[in-house]
Amino acid sequence: MNEDTRPDAALGLEGVPHTGEAIDDQGMLVEPQSEDFKSAKPASANPSWFKGAVFYEVLVRAFSDSNGDGTGDLRGLASRLDYLEWLGVDCLWLPPFYASPLRDGGYDISDFRAVLPEFGTVEDFVYLLEEAHRRGIRVITDLVLNHTSDAHPWFQQSRQDPTGPYGDYYVWSDDDSRYSDARIIFVDTESSNWTYDPVRGQFFWHRFFSHQPDLNYENPEVQEAMLDILRFWLDLGIDGFRLDAVPYLFEEEGTICENLPRTHEFLKRCRKVVDDEFPGRVLLAEANQWPSDVVEYFGDPEIGGDECHMAFHFPLMPRIFMAVRRESRFPISEILAQTPAIPENAQWGIFLRNHDELTLEMVTDEERDYMYTEYAKDPRMKANIGIRRRLAPLLENDRNQHELFTALLLSLPGSPVLYYGDEIGMGDNIWLADRDAVRTPMQWTPDRNAGFSSCDPGRIYLPVIMDPVYGYQGLNVEAQLNNTSSLLNWTRRMIEVRKQHHAFAEGDFSELGGSNPSVLAYKRLWKRPDGREDIVLCVNNLSRFPQPVELDLSEHRDYTPLELTGGVKFPSIGELPYLLTLPGHGFYWFQLVEAGDDSEMR
Amino acid sequence: MIDPDELADKLVTTLPDVLPTLRWFGGKDRPINAVRPLRTTPLSDEMVHVIVEVEQPGRSEEYQLIISEHSDGFDATADPDRNGLLLEKIAAGEHVDGITFAHEQGVELRTSLRGRPIGVEQSNTSLIYGQQYILKIFRKLARGENRDLVMHRALRSVGCEHIALPLGSISTELDGEPVTLAMLQEFLPDAVEGWDMAKTSVRDLMAEADLHADEVGGDFAGEACRLGHAVAKVHADLAEALGTRLADDDAITHAIEGMQRRLDTVLDAVPELSRYEEPLRATFEEARQHIGAIPIQHIHGDLHLGQVLRTVHGWLLIDFEGEPAAPAAERNALKSPLRDVAGMLRSFDYAARQLLIGQPDDDQLAYRAMEWTKRNRAAFCDGYAEVAADPRDNTHLLRAFELDKAVYEVAYEHANRPEWLTVPLSSIARMTSGGE
Repeated sequence: MNEDTRPDAALGLEGVPHTGEAIDDQGMLVEPQSEDFKSAKPASANPSWFKGAVFYEVLVRAFSDSNGDGTGDLRGLASRLDYLEWLGVDCLWLPPFYASPLRDGGYDISDFRAVLPEFGTVEDFVYLLEEAHRRGIRVITDLVLNHTSDAHPWFQQSRQDPTGPYGDYYVWSDDDSRYSDARIIFVDTESSNWTYDPVRGQFFWHRFFSHQPDLNYENPEVQEAMLDILRFWLDLGIDGFRLDAVPYLFEEEGTICENLPRTHEFLKRCRKVVDDEFPGRVLLAEANQWPSDVVEYFGDPEIGGDECHMAFHFPLMPRIFMAVRRESRFPISEILAQTPAIPENAQWGIFLRNHDELTLEMVTDEERDYMYTEYAKDPRMKANIGIRRRLAPLLENDRNQHELFTALLLSLPGSPVLYYGDEIGMGDNIWLADRDAVRTPMQWTPDRNAGFSSCDPGRIYLPVIMDPVYGYQGLNVEAQLNNTSSLLNWTRRMIEVRKQHHAFAEGDFSELGGSNPSVLAYKRLWKRPDGREDIVLCVNNLSRFPQPVELDLSEHRDYTPLELTGGVKFPSIGELPYLLTLPGHGFYWFQLVEAGDDSEMR
Repeated sequence: MIDPDELADKLVTTLPDVLPTLRWFGGKDRPINAVRPLRTTPLSDEMVHVIVEVEQPGRSEEYQLIISEHSDGFDATADPDRNGLLLEKIAAGEHVDGITFAHEQGVELRTSLRGRPIGVEQSNTSLIYGQQYILKIFRKLARGENRDLVMHRALRSVGCEHIALPLGSISTELDGEPVTLAMLQEFLPDAVEGWDMAKTSVRDLMAEADLHADEVGGDFAGEACRLGHAVAKVHADLAEALGTRLADDDAITHAIEGMQRRLDTVLDAVPELSRYEEPLRATFEEARQHIGAIPIQHIHGDLHLGQVLRTVHGWLLIDFEGEPAAPAAERNALKSPLRDVAGMLRSFDYAARQLLIGQPDDDQLAYRAMEWTKRNRAAFCDGYAEVAADPRDNTHLLRAFELDKAVYEVAYEHANRPEWLTVPLSSIARMTSGGE
């Protein structure tokens, strides 16, 4: 066979098991199987672990470099697990670490069954899983279902052999006129959802970049092949997937080709594989849409949900920023009031920062939302909420605000997702291209390369932050570990408090209102299996000025609020509104303890 | 069981001493000659509804009380252990000896809730039941159906989204005339008064000497715009439910003369106003020339930032009683909706300058306050214009209504809060010299 047309030519995976190293006598590509590798011991059995878990998004490239080549890797990440365990992290979320030409941050996957060589090997990943599970930490990763890289051997086979076993793996057409109602997502770079392939002499369909052809889900073999990829990693011991770009799997003439019923049917098949073969693993939907539309991806509420276990709540994040900027709780209250109930076995993922952002283009119905009147017209909001800034610089390095935001993240309904480095208040480097601003190396120590890598500083994948405020010499894990009042120690303490009260995880959420618009107060109520109640009261001052608030807590007359970080008892609740005063950007977490019950109940 | 006759005797002897100590009693300015029970109606074994006539020099007024021997000061209205009964009777739609407890059509109510009195009221007693309902009990009784209730019913009938829903009422008749005793409404625990929302924004601006009103985080323009939208919707709903017509020449003349008459009175009391007399009169006359045939209808009648609530579902208008000092006929008259708009525009002016009252003069802050007012007045009108004609299209009339309102404010502030007098006076100075 000609060297250039080998299906695996573009992968750069010589010497490690990968898709297409051989072709069997039916013309099928030989793919690595999970049996070829050692599997990690599964994490402890607890089917609803994700409802109370603290997630931590970590870029493998940015966290720790074990081999001194200037790029973070899986072994490096594994070496930092003690730190993550100490912090209280329950689950790591890794953006894609698969083999990829990296033309879309690794979301352009060229082999679903191999690891990007810079990051290590499948064996290294299993090692990471093993070490994580040993510490009670789970690991999930992104999986792109909708498309592959054009370097994927499937695509190479498909374009070269239209009648072969992979001929129908992608959406091919003789012209570019079909599905004309589907919008173009990357309008800046793509002019059509169809691109002509001179090799096959046909157009192929792509909802994202033209180097990412969409898989053809009409073909049952594609569905099976993708389910087998889920099984491959689940067999190795992975704890779940964030399913990327799920609304676009199927196409149908006359529709916008998003959220089609058959897309949901396929997700139900994925869920069934998990439930039947790998109970306790989770699927998290990436659907950057309004909560009322996203809930569809949890599946049938009658049976507790039968598609994804989790989905991100995208609009909450900009609303938190807007609420603090406006010193008004309504931006948050409104979006929570608009958020529908979710199935019993489902949970939202909430975040302050991650590598995705809410795009205003997503919000189509102007009537139901004031994103357009408030957010889009405020240049500072528009610029700041983008993906190029980290939390600390967004909050002008104000410790009080940082704490308030973190307290909101840890107490609003949903599982919190922290972004690596925000626990120490890391800065960003806006001079780097695009999203690299927030992807600089984790700052571990004041040593060379911030302790991230032992490489020659010139070789590092991105320069470490060196400015006088956020520079690694002063701002790093080691320094903050040694300082009991550091943001890191504070964050750890709050995570610990959160874990002591299951109300934060699964408690019913009810807002308490009150006459002061700058104070957001809510209650989380968890009915314990033994019938008793764990009630947590959270009161947040969104204003920079001190504020009083009177809360109607008469439903809990004679209860005593017990402050959760220090255990101080506040005056008991009576018939009259309960008066609290808060410092600027201050907040309280209380447990409401019944009269006569002196112990803190959990 | 309370014996009604025994109770009547007791009221005659004790009430003259007790009434002046009660917050809601409106006749504290003069002595009480006599208290006469007009009617006692047992509501249960231990609660009796009482209407008394209080005779004072030069007037005689009717009040209602709910008596229980178990309660402090024996008025049981505010007693959470007992006042759940009122809600139960409304839910059941009971008639008790001439008192009608009624829920609105199609409304089902939750009962066994305790009623917590809210602390801030002056002349009535309002009970909040379980964070769901609010029962406003009118203490001093007035003949005729309560305007607030009538307006709320009309708005509910056309599906208005910008009110707290009316849920029920307690009513009776006195001398053959209907009398509203209480009104039950949806309670919105998340609601915040417009005044507090605006204050939050102004406070943020005043703390940032170097940023403009459109640059600070607490910008209110988005809220003001949505508020304008809501007010215009309520006007449209009132017109749909209760009709609208064109004002005739007589009505216009009457309105303009009313403005001139008010000005006469206030000029007598407040000499500082005299230097604006000429342009004020000219503005009112000019309005008469330019009015044309304007539509009139039922309006809110006393609209300002304290009469609107922000909830998670948007802005609501409350309290449709109309201008408090006006006689009933005046309050029920059809008026131009621009009067409400003018009331709200004046309120923005107050909101912007409230933090400057009693402080040393500061030109910079006064300038910021002006910026805030202009920005939010414009945003309010923009929002209003999304639904109805832009109020600014009718400049002459809107200006006349605003100045009339400002003249009223001058009188009020002069009598009650002299340090606030500068707010309406400087607005009059600005508007009569061609400013916005």
